[in-house]
Amino acid sequence: MAAVSAVRVPMADSNDVALAAAGDRQAFERLYRTHANRVYSICARMSGSRVRGEELTQDVFVRTWEKLPQFRGESAFSTWLHRLAVNVVLNARKTEGKQDSRTEDSDVEDDRRDEMSRAPLHIERMDLKDAISKLPEGARRVFVLHDIEGYKHEEIAEMMGITSGGSKAQLHRARLLLREALER
Amino acid sequence: MTNSNMTCEEFDAALPDHLEGTLDEPLRASVAKHLSECVRCASLVRDLDKIRKEAASMPDLVPSRDLWQGIEARIAAPVIPLTARPEPKRRFAPAWMGVAAAALILVTAGITYTLTARSFQGGTPTVAQVTPASNPAPASSGSDTGVTGPSPTTSPSETGGTGARAGTPPSTAVASESSPRRPASIARVVNQQVSEDVYSREIAMLQKIVTDRRTQLDSSTVAIIERNLRIIDAAIAQSRAALANDPASRLLSDQLTHALDKKVELLRTAALLPSA
Repeated sequence: MAAVSAVRVPMADSNDVALAAAGDRQAFERLYRTHANRVYSICARMSGSRVRGEELTQDVFVRTWEKLPQFRGESAFSTWLHRLAVNVVLNARKTEGKQDSRTEDSDVEDDRRDEMSRAPLHIERMDLKDAISKLPEGARRVFVLHDIEGYKHEEIAEMMGITSGGSKAQLHRARLLLREALER
Repeated sequence: MTNSNMTCEEFDAALPDHLEGTLDEPLRASVAKHLSECVRCASLVRDLDKIRKEAASMPDLVPSRDLWQGIEARIAAPVIPLTARPEPKRRFAPAWMGVAAAALILVTAGITYTLTARSFQGGTPTVAQVTPASNPAPASSGSDTGVTGPSPTTSPSETGGTGARAGTPPSTAVASESSPRRPASIARVVNQQVSEDVYSREIAMLQKIVTDRRTQLDSSTVAIIERNLRIIDAAIAQSRAALANDPASRLLSDQLTHALDKKVELLRTAALLPSA
C-alpha cells in the first residue's frame, strides 16, 4: 500500500522542495497543489470529518513549511509529508481530548455521527467512505492508516503509541464493524 | 457451525492472523479446511477481503474549497525576518564611532595647533581663554555628539569641511562638531519612526491572522497569548511615553524595539500554531 501512495504522487518534487525549503512560496504552493488532495484525504478520513479535515490540512501544510528545512530527503517527500500529516492529526486529537470546549463544526459532526449510529437498520446501504467516518476513533484511525494508507502495524503502533497487537485488534474490529455497516 | 477440525469460534480467533498472512502452517491448513466447509466463515472472509481491497483503491478526497489562501496567510506572516529589521543601534553605531573618532582627532589637532602656534609666537598662552567658555566641557561635547550620533545624511564633504577647519580656533572647531547633535537626534527619531512603521505593519498583519484563527486555537492557549500581549503592550506604551519625553535616548529606543520584537514573535508563534 505504501507503494500505491508513492505511485499516486509525482516523483519530481525535489526542485520545488529545495526551493520551498529556501523560502520560495510559489514553489511551496506547487507542492501544496500536488499533494493537497492526498493530505486532505488522510486528515478527513482519520478525523472522520471533512470540515475538520480541511482545518487539519491547513495545519499540515503550515507545519510542513516550518519543517521543510529539516527534510533531508532520506525518504520520498510524499512519504515524509504523509507521515507528518498523520502526526498532526494524532497530535490534534490529543489536544482536543484535553480541551473542555470544541468548535461548533466538530460538535455538529459528532452529533450527526451519534445520530447515525443510533439510527434504525432500515438506512440505505451506505458506502465504505461513510461507514469509515462512523467508526469509533481508534478503529477508524488504524483502518485508515493500515488499509488505506498502507502503514504496517509496527509503524502505526509507534505513531499512535499503542502496541502492534493493539493495532491488529483495532483493525480487525474496524473491518468487522464496516462489514456490519455495509450489510445493512 | 463446526467441522471436525475447527469451530467457527476458533476460526474467528485465528481470523486476524489469517488476514494478515501470519498464521503458522498447521493452523493455516486448519483454517483453509474450515473455510472450504463453512459457508458463514467463507462469506465473512470474502466480505473482509472485499473491504480491504476497496479501501486500498479508494480515490483521494477533494476539499470543498481552496485551502491555499488560509495556508498562505499563515506562512506569509513572517515577512520581515527578525534579524533583518532596521535596528538604529547596530546600523549607526559604527558610523558614529568613526565620525566621533575623527571629530576627536580634529579637535585635539586644532587645540594642539593653536597652542603650539601661539607658543611659537612667544605670546603668553591663553589656553584658558581659547578653551571655549561658551562650551564649558569640550571633551564631553565630543562624547555627547557620539552618543546621539551624526546625521546619517552628513556627507563626507561635510566631514571634510570640518577637517579643513582644523586650523581654526578650537572653540569654532568644537562648536562645529557640536552642531550635528540636534540633526542626529532628529535622525534617531526618524529612524525610530520608520522602524515603528515596519513593526506596525507586521503586527497588524499578524494580529489579523491571529484574530481570524482565534476559534481554531485552544481557548487556554488564546488566554495565555492575550495575557502576554497585554503585558507586552503595557511595556510598549511605557517605552513610547518615555521616548516622547526623551526622543534621543538610545536606551529607551532599544527598550521599545525589544518590546515590539517580543510582540511580533508572540503573534508570529500564535499565527503558526496548529488548530486545536
